[in-house]
Formats: sequence, C-alpha cells, structure tokens
Amino acid sequence: MSDEESGWHLTESDPGVFTELLKSLGVPYIVDDLYSLDPDSLAALQPIHALVFLFKWLPTSGSEPDPASGAHFDPDFPGFFAQQVVNNACATLAVMNALGNIPSLPCGQPLQELFSFTTGMDAQTRGMVITSSDWLREAHNALSPPSAISLDGLGLPKTSEDAYHFIVYMPAMGCVYEFDGLKSHPIRHGAYEEKGEGWIAKAREAVEARIATYPPGSLEFSLLALRDDPIPSLQSRLKELQEAGRGNDAEAAELIVRLSNENSKRERWAFENALRRHNHLGLIHALLVALAKAGSLEPARDAARRKMEERVARRKEVGMDLDEE
Amino acid sequence: MASATILAFKAGRAFRREGTNFVDHSPEKGAIILQKGEDELLHFVWKNRSTNDAEEDLILFPGDASFVKIPQVTGGRSYVLKFSSSNQRHFFWMQDASTARDDEFVKNLNLVLEDPDRIPVWQAGGAGSSQGQASTSQAGSSSQSAAAPSGTTPEQLAQIRSLVQSMSGNTAQNEPELSLTDILTPETLLPLFRSHPDLVSSLFPHLPPDLPTPPSQETLQQIISSPQFRGAVRNLDQALRTGLLGGLVRGLGLPEEAGTGVEAFLRAIQEQAGRGDRMETD
Repeated sequence: MSDEESGWHLTESDPGVFTELLKSLGVPYIVDDLYSLDPDSLAALQPIHALVFLFKWLPTSGSEPDPASGAHFDPDFPGFFAQQVVNNACATLAVMNALGNIPSLPCGQPLQELFSFTTGMDAQTRGMVITSSDWLREAHNALSPPSAISLDGLGLPKTSEDAYHFIVYMPAMGCVYEFDGLKSHPIRHGAYEEKGEGWIAKAREAVEARIATYPPGSLEFSLLALRDDPIPSLQSRLKELQEAGRGNDAEAAELIVRLSNENSKRERWAFENALRRHNHLGLIHALLVALAKAGSLEPARDAARRKMEERVARRKEVGMDLDEE
Repeated sequence: MASATILAFKAGRAFRREGTNFVDHSPEKGAIILQKGEDELLHFVWKNRSTNDAEEDLILFPGDASFVKIPQVTGGRSYVLKFSSSNQRHFFWMQDASTARDDEFVKNLNLVLEDPDRIPVWQAGGAGSSQGQASTSQAGSSSQSAAAPSGTTPEQLAQIRSLVQSMSGNTAQNEPELSLTDILTPETLLPLFRSHPDLVSSLFPHLPPDLPTPPSQETLQQIISSPQFRGAVRNLDQALRTGLLGGLVRGLGLPEEAGTGVEAFLRAIQEQAGRGDRMETD
C-alpha cells in the first residue's frame, strides 16, 4: 500500500514525538536520545526497556544476521513482532514492536485490546492490523502538520529525508532480540546474563557490530532509549529527603538539578510538538504581508532570486538538478 | 560508499517487450548517476528517485560502453547503453521536463564512458529555463484545459504540454526562480520585528494555541528559526509550484491566481498589503 493511500503521515523521529505517542497510548515511559553506549551513561538512564537504533537511509542490500556472532532468525518467536507494511508508519511500528514485548506493560485500554487481538498472528498480518487501526493512526498523525498543507497526494517526488529505518533491540525470554520491521522474522542475538548490566551488554555488542558494517561518517544514525519516566521517582525521593529534614543535602541538590533538567527537556518537547501540530499558513501569510507593508518584500524577493541563481549554478557543476533542497 | 559523482541526470528505465523489438518505458522516476567508486572503478548507477535506492550499479571499463539514441522510438528521448564486450543492453529514457540539455548530458556521458578521466563540459544554463518560468506564470492564470489557441507553434505546444504535466505533479518543474525559504529567514524577519515592535504582538494569534508558556518576542524568534516552521515554508513553496493552491489561498483573502505559483503568490500579497493600512516605516 502506498504512503498516500494509507493515510499515515510522515512524522519526525524525535524523542519528543515518541514520548508524546507513548503518552497517548497510556504508557508512562519516555524516549530519550542516547549519545553514548558506555556503561556509565546507560546506567544513569536505567531502567531501560529497549534500545532503538535509527538511521536515515534504507539499506540497499539485505544485511543477513551474521551466524559467527551467534545471531540468527527466529521464525518461532512466540512474542510480538509485526512487519512494516506502510513506510510512513515505521516509527510507530517500531514502538509497537518494543511495547509488545514488555511484560506487564502499563498502558491504556485500546492498546491492550490491540495486543490481545493480534495474539498468535503472523508478522505480516499483525503489521496489516496495526496499519489499519484508525485510533493508532490518528495518534500517530497527531504529531505531523495538519492535512491542509500536507503534500501527500500531490505526486511530488519524495526527498531523501523520508527514508528512515528503525531497529529495536531488547530482551525477551532471556535473550536479546533485534526487531526490524523490514525483515521477515525477529533476530535472536542470544542469551544474556542477569548480573551487572544485564541485557544491555549483549545489546551493545549487537549495535556496535551493526555500526561497524557501515563506512565511518557515511550514515546519519541515532540511538534512542525507551525507559521509565524518571520524574515521578525523582520527585518522590526529593520529597522523602525534604520531609526527613535533609532538603539541603548534596543528594537533594543533585535531585533538584536533575528534575530541573528533565522539566526543561519536557518543556522543549512540548514546544516542538505544539509547532509540529500547528498549521503555520496563517503565520506565514501574516509575515509576508508585514514584510510587504514595511516595504521589505521586494528587496527580500530580489535577494532570494539571486540566491536561487547561485544555487542552480552550483548544482550545474555536477550536471544535475534533482530538487533536493 | 564514499564515491565521487561525475555527472547525473534524470532518466527512467525501459525494458524490451518479450519476443519483440518494442521497448516499454517504465514510469518510475529515476536518475542515471556516473560515479567513481571507492574501488577506483567507473560505476553507472540507476537510482530510483522515489525510494532513493540504487537499483542498478554497473561497473564499466573505459571504452567498453556507449550511450546511444534509439531513433526508432517516438519522442526522440530513448537511449540504449550498449557494450562492445557483450550483448548486454540497458534501455533508458530522459525524464527532465526540458529537452534542452539532453544532448549535453549524453555527449558528456559518452565522453566519460570513453575515458573516465575526461572532465565533462557544461554550457552556462538559464536561457531555456527562464523562458519556461515566464510561461508558467502566464499560463497558470488561464484555464487548465488542453485546447491550445489556433496558430500555436510546436515550441509553444511543447511548453504547454510540459506545463500541464508539471501541474498534475508528474514531472518536476523547470528551474524555480526563487524560494519562499529564502525570504522568510531570520536575517529578513528579525530586523522587521525590531523595527515594528507592534507587529510582534499582532502575530501572537497566529502562533500555536498550546505553547507551554505564553508567547513573547523570543518565542516568535525561536519559532521562525525552528525546523518545523522552516519545513512548513518549504512545504508551501513546493505546493505553490504545483500551481494547484487556488482554493487554499482564497482562505487568506487572496485571489485564486495567487495559488498558481510562488511569484504569483508574492505579487498578490504585495497588492493585499497595499490595500490595507500602511504601517509606519523608518
């Protein structure tokens, strides 16, 4: 099914977008950017439920699991795995593959029902059921610009920005699994030890092995962590300390700093999400009219023409003009 | 792969119909890209422009391949990549809306196929494309019917044909002359906010209603610099180039003509601003 027919909008893959989606699913977790896989950075974010590896290009060749590393397809995986059926839904599909394998997941009724309904289905059918779920699609679309200004259906060429790929790494049934919606089955990377870092150590190996298969600097990728929302526990610990008269302790001070950081981050996410949902046409029009009234529109237009000429001339040096701006 | 692109142009593939001498054009939008790979070899790549996948990647040896027009195919824009070392044949058709550069692309392609160290020679462009742009803004305001006035020359017919195609979004337009993204920049807007402080609060009703904190001048500055706002400007720019926004712009109090292109949109706004109260300028 094409992206246009499916009704699924393309969304950004930002921690703020993911976290808002989780909220609308009734799941009290957040998604955070991971800047490092080192043990200390990850320990600070525990409990982590899943790692999401995200990169900006579709793989051109199939990357089969490397048997030498102990990884192989698991066609008999009894947990939740859905195949990607619609490209634009890839972010939500990855979230579903992660949430579907978290035992005793706290979530809202609709999600609970969706998981029950898809029990026992094969990966492709599950993918189609998820894609046909109206309420899920609406929750997903809620974070993209309103349709009035959407370009779906105008037949414009897609830019390379649209090609995202998500892979989820998480523990299930004692093993670390890799869920890739473009593959036919989950990939089992093998058992992990409970002690120390637990499953994270094994997942780190798998992620680093994957990163190593790409030439350095040739891909843009990010890592995200699906984790418990830290704010409630930070707040309750702080309250404990304050009630015990230790509100001026070093530990309390550190908690205050961490809470403040978390709250700023949420405020930034709320700001960005408000912008994502908003139809900016009115603002754009008002700005252009203001420029015109101030007599600045003509000069801006001339400057824009010159910029375009320079751009076209630069592109012609390689002989192509593929509308990639 | 860190390879260097030598040249590239829009082209689709075509395939021979089994058992015949007919070649059918595949409608997928693509590009032929000639690259020098990390392996130091010459790669002839066909990339699908919709999926961004490189679906063909041929390694070519100098002097082995040539890109030749197939005269029997109507339209005159079909070519075959053939080899002296084998019977392999790959068929392509030019997809750039304008034919003006076909010969130039093919000539340079063959130059490099012959000797990968040759440097392609490009004419300074522009003459053909600015003509195309002028007819875009004129024809945009007239109806979209296919009937051409009598006495239309073949060149005008070709322009109208490519215009209709671009209006239905099938092929990319000729070179745009300017983009809204270059007008609504912080460089242009911040001075405007400074010189017209009343403007800032008059814009608050156009901001998202669910911002986490009440809007301020700083909020406005953050918003116009944000990727979401810039993306919206880019979207509007692209949508205007399809010429199909007549209905949408009426909601802004603009005439339908304003929805036919970026220049038309700006002209209509200039007029709309002139009709309203003049703001004080410095």
